[in-house]
Amino acid sequence: MELHIPDGCLDIPICILMYIISLSVLAFCWKKAKNEFQSKFSSTLAVLSSLVFVAQMLNFPIVGGTSGHLVGGTFLATIFGPYITALSMTIVLLIQAIFFADGGITTFGANIFNMAIIGAFSYYLVKLLSGRNPSTKRFLASVFATSWLSIVLGAFACALEIGFSQAFPAGITITIPAMLFWHVIIGIGEGAITTPLVSAIMHIQPALPAIQFSWRAPDS
Amino acid sequence: MKRKSEAILLAGIIVALIILAPFASSNPDGLERVAESLNVEEHKPFWKGIMPDYSLENVSNPYISTLAGGLVGIFLVLALTFLIGKTVSK
Repeated sequence: MELHIPDGCLDIPICILMYIISLSVLAFCWKKAKNEFQSKFSSTLAVLSSLVFVAQMLNFPIVGGTSGHLVGGTFLATIFGPYITALSMTIVLLIQAIFFADGGITTFGANIFNMAIIGAFSYYLVKLLSGRNPSTKRFLASVFATSWLSIVLGAFACALEIGFSQAFPAGITITIPAMLFWHVIIGIGEGAITTPLVSAIMHIQPALPAIQFSWRAPDS
Repeated sequence: MKRKSEAILLAGIIVALIILAPFASSNPDGLERVAESLNVEEHKPFWKGIMPDYSLENVSNPYISTLAGGLVGIFLVLALTFLIGKTVSK
């Protein structure tokens, strides 16, 4: 569950606002992915998305009596770029919400934003930190730092959403430090899982679309 | 990616699920941990899902139940993300 906000934690206006923001970004991603995503990568996308789904199911325990699991947004984004990643992550979240009641229906827009969209667009941070023609070490260090930050940012967005909701009994002065405290730790797990995964995929198939962008950085 | 490496990877994902399902931590996650420490009570959800908590209601063995939930989820994610890849690139 990690960042999956259940029903009843957010006020309806915040739910509606997050639906509007998330669906607009997804519509934009759909348009961009239409020009960019190549049909031949569909099966790879499907397999790696199901990897993300399974990794999200399996919680790892964290000191202090909490647990975390991979969110996987930075992982998919590093390999496929932000647009198709946002769509694919949304599918994973949709199946979790509808079939497994993991994350609410009214809060679905917020959950798309916190995990799918922040994760997908973290791609640009990987690219920024990597610079032009990065060494493998620098590229992977960028992936680690970015996947950590994607969790911290997701937690921050979540803290704002619940903190501004009257339905949640604590305000932002409490939710922000509390969410950040735990997710600064949980994010390390995200980096520790994402980095070897990306490294493994680079060795299996270095020609996947976004990894190639990261290496050649043609349009930056 | 080559079809063969994809098939191996998918098999690996299923094996990982089979091995790791019983070890899934039952500690509360980050958001739940924060909610707990603030004494927020959990609301009754109005949508209970088809397989809440990744398990089948009428299967008593928690391992089999989680495994079944995971396999159904893998299949759905595979099918839908493949479909979205194909549709968007049309």
